[in-house]
Amino acid sequence: MTVGLVRSKDLKAGVRRSAAAWPIGTLRYLVAAIFTGFCLFPFYVIVTTALKTETAIFAWPPVWNFKPTLQSFYNALFVFGGRSAIFYLINSVIISAVSTFVAVVLGAMAAYGFARFSFAGKRHLAFWILSTRFAPPVAFIVPIYLMVQKAGMLDSHIALILIYTAMNLSLVIWILRGFFSEIPIEIEEAALVDGYSRLQIFWRVALPLVRPGIVSTAILSAIFSWNEFLYAMVLTQSKAATLPVYLAGFSNSMGLAWGEYMAVGTMAVLPILIFTFALQKHLVRGLTFGAVK
Amino acid sequence: MARIEFKGVSKTYPDGTRAIVDLDLVVEDGELLCLLGPSGCGKSSTIRVLAGLETFSDGMILADNNRIDHLPPQARDCAMIFENYALYPHLTAFENIAMPLRARRLPASEIKARVTKIAGILRMEHLMGRRPSRLSGGEKQRVGIGRALVREPAMFLMDEPLGHLEAYLRVELRAEIRKLQERLGITTIYVTHDQEEAAAIADRIVVMSAGRLQQVGSFLDLFDRPVNRFVAEFVGEPPMVFLPVERTNADSIAVKGVRIPISEPLRAALRATQDRELILGIRPNDFSLGPPVRDHLNGTVTLVQPQGDHAIVAVSTPAGPATAIVPSDRRPAPGATVGLTFAGERLHLFDSAARALNKGEGGG
Repeated sequence: MTVGLVRSKDLKAGVRRSAAAWPIGTLRYLVAAIFTGFCLFPFYVIVTTALKTETAIFAWPPVWNFKPTLQSFYNALFVFGGRSAIFYLINSVIISAVSTFVAVVLGAMAAYGFARFSFAGKRHLAFWILSTRFAPPVAFIVPIYLMVQKAGMLDSHIALILIYTAMNLSLVIWILRGFFSEIPIEIEEAALVDGYSRLQIFWRVALPLVRPGIVSTAILSAIFSWNEFLYAMVLTQSKAATLPVYLAGFSNSMGLAWGEYMAVGTMAVLPILIFTFALQKHLVRGLTFGAVK
Repeated sequence: MARIEFKGVSKTYPDGTRAIVDLDLVVEDGELLCLLGPSGCGKSSTIRVLAGLETFSDGMILADNNRIDHLPPQARDCAMIFENYALYPHLTAFENIAMPLRARRLPASEIKARVTKIAGILRMEHLMGRRPSRLSGGEKQRVGIGRALVREPAMFLMDEPLGHLEAYLRVELRAEIRKLQERLGITTIYVTHDQEEAAAIADRIVVMSAGRLQQVGSFLDLFDRPVNRFVAEFVGEPPMVFLPVERTNADSIAVKGVRIPISEPLRAALRATQDRELILGIRPNDFSLGPPVRDHLNGTVTLVQPQGDHAIVAVSTPAGPATAIVPSDRRPAPGATVGLTFAGERLHLFDSAARALNKGEGGG
């Protein structure tokens, strides 16, 4: 009897609890769905506009159900005069890839140094590195323009690569420093007594263990380099211009070719999207889990 | 395969903490030496200094009469086993064991042969493809041992290697470590805070406290002839009982007015000192409990812990608390009044500076 009573009480309590939890859970999903829709809607408009015919783009009320066409992509790539979007796409890929690679390699080494060695002025140096990002980039545009000009590097890939690397370095160093500090020191001590030098330990032990950190900083650096507009706009004309620069000039030279404009916009998003998805599986946490108790 | 010598080694941390104080110690070639002491006594610092993982302030370290303290860790040819295993999480068990060999750039075929041989010795061939996250604690430490064994170093340094393992695994693995060490004949320094473990595997034991070496010897040396009160109290379980004594004569003593019979060597030691604040030390095994006797040391039983064939009995006496080990069938009931007697030749006396009076003679 008693058992039965307790059970039915439990049951009632359970029902009450889930009844109270139900609207909160639903509300949470609703809010998340609205926010996701809000974020993705512009992207939806870009992609669908790129896939519509010109009449469908300007139709009112908007056509939701239409037959997609790749005409705009074809036009943007092969029909439009001047340099094709592919030229700028390649520029963007070169500049983003090289600056990301250099920033991650140099940044990882610097971060390891900050995480594992003590030296005079360490805290000040670390703070100074972070402080390079305190001011808005536009504050440095004039001195940097003059430096690049004096060095004869206007409209060159190397100028943007150097600037993007410098800007990404502080981010890479600060994020990776935390990852390196989390590696149990005993693992590196074990490597020391196993006969490895500090540099070997960095490459063979520490670096593989911070792979999630490397991947996330690489993604963030690549996104930054890929989307950077201000410096690319000021420091390049044509030879080294990146996609954002090309996109900004699009409407001027071609009138308002919305379909083609959005087609280039879609292509501008794709590489970074592919890069992120390709690396995402390496973002697993807890690789060091289980190494030490 | 080295004779290791510490000469006046001291280590002081920047905050002034003295981790090691003027350590003089020789570890003989092929010996298994245990560093035993409570946490913070400097035993871990000692082997970390020897491995080159930490610097020290003063003194020198020699291996086969060559100074090694200026060498970087990778040049000292020591293999270390860590309390928390410190395996490489991104590598399989096989690769973990192979790492010291890869550092020495051995040909792949030899690496494979040696790792396979070690895996066989440790009976863990079936685990070689697994990463550390898929190994149990005991399996992880087996890999750690394998990694240390694989390259046949000049010395093994083991920093509480079994500390994180369950009791039955500790017993099993420590026997394995001892067997392997004997077979390979490699000089080994083994750090532990567990005296039972030290007693089970060590050739000699070094007891450390507050950065200072207290005593070196076999477990029986430490047990029967402790040089000071710290060693007497730390070694032996349950710990030695200490009772304050009065000197009734040049060579006789009493506890709370009850005269204590003592051995001739102890008498001689007593005659040689003027110290009046003496402490008597008695091992719980050396007590026997009987019915209370007038003019004798009597006490009240406060706690009885049955342990199988024997029981640990806590007794409250006018001189202070005492612990006795008695056969199970003769254990008293809690609350009972008992008389304490002890064998005169197995007593220890400590002076006011906590040094043993009968150093190196009395006792056993």
